[in-house]
Order: sequence, then structure tokens, then C-alpha cells
Amino acid sequence: MELVLWAMIIFLACYIVRVVKGPTIWDRLLGMNLISAKIIMIIIIFASMNNTGYLLDFAIIYSLFGFIGTIFIALFLSKQKLGRRRGKK
Amino acid sequence: MFVLQIIGNILIGVSVAFMALGVFGIFKFDDFYKRVLIVSKIDTVGMLTLIIGLMLRHGFSFFSGKLLLIWIIMIVLSPLVAHIVLKASFQAGYRLDGEIIEPKELEDLNENEENIEE
Repeated sequence: MELVLWAMIIFLACYIVRVVKGPTIWDRLLGMNLISAKIIMIIIIFASMNNTGYLLDFAIIYSLFGFIGTIFIALFLSKQKLGRRRGKK
Repeated sequence: MFVLQIIGNILIGVSVAFMALGVFGIFKFDDFYKRVLIVSKIDTVGMLTLIIGLMLRHGFSFFSGKLLLIWIIMIVLSPLVAHIVLKASFQAGYRLDGEIIEPKELEDLNENEENIEE
């Protein structure tokens, strides 16, 4: 199971690279959503490795808040006047 | 009983494979719309198989009950969020292949859509 945990952490790092590199703001929003999903998976795997049930409550609550946060950020951004960035394309 | 453990391990392996494909997809596709199309699906499916695999490993207990609850949350919320992000980016004027519609042109575009609905 440690192997699966390490794989998840590596994938998390790849998503962080995508969030940093992402050209548009929407890639970053997508990346944040994926990172929160990835963190939930890490919590779940860690909980199943140690056979501790209370960690899963954190995963449930964290997933709800993560998704709700992403939803409201997306709604906020869609109403903003997001023209082309003044700097590079 | 032992068979369940093996099936669970296989499912977890499959979910890690899905994750790898998702990460590969997020770097291969150059445009936002293509990227979202691939990654949101693969990420959801990867998580669902992971949760089912873990449930099989833990058999019938409170642990897999909570995992079922997370499974339900994931299968409902994850596609929903991907849809909302996509809809927001479309309304903000982001079009395919990085082409961005300026807010001024966007207003008359939105007005046309409203007329069509009436």
C-alpha cells in the first residue's frame, strides 16, 4: 500500500506543476479541484493502511468543502470581466 | 474471504493506472477544454475504483460504510464541479484553442443567446 501512497504523492506533484504552469486561470482552477480530490485519496489510503476509521470523516468533510470552494470560485470568475491578459498572450 | 483481498488489490492497481493516465492526459493536451474533458472523467473513475478496491479489502464494517458514503459524494460531486468549471469558463469568454473573447463582444453574444431562448 505504501507504493500506492507514493504514486498518489507523485501524481499530486504533477498536478501542482500543472497548476503553476497552466496558461489560463481555468487550468489553475481545474488543477486545484484535482489536487483536492487527490488529497482525499491520500487521506483514504492512509486511513486504510492504519485501519483508523475516524480519518475518513476528515475526507468526507474535506471533499465537501473542496468542491464547494471550487464551485464558488468558478461562479465568481465567470462574472468577472476577464479580457485577454494585458501582458503576453 | 482471501479472494476479496486479491480482487481489492487488483482494483487498486487499476485505479493507480487510471491516475497515471490522468496525469499523462493533463500534460499531453495543450488546450483547457480538451484537458478538462479527459482528466475530470479519469480522475473520477480512478477514485471510484480505488474506493471500491479498499471496500473489498476491508469487508463488511464501518470503515467500508464510510467509504461508501465518500463513493456516493464523489460520484455526484466530481462531474458536477467539472461541469460548473467548464460552464464558467465558457461564460467568461474562453473559447477553444486559447482564443479569448473580450468582455465587450461578450455582452452582445450573451444578448443574442437570450433572444434565441424567447
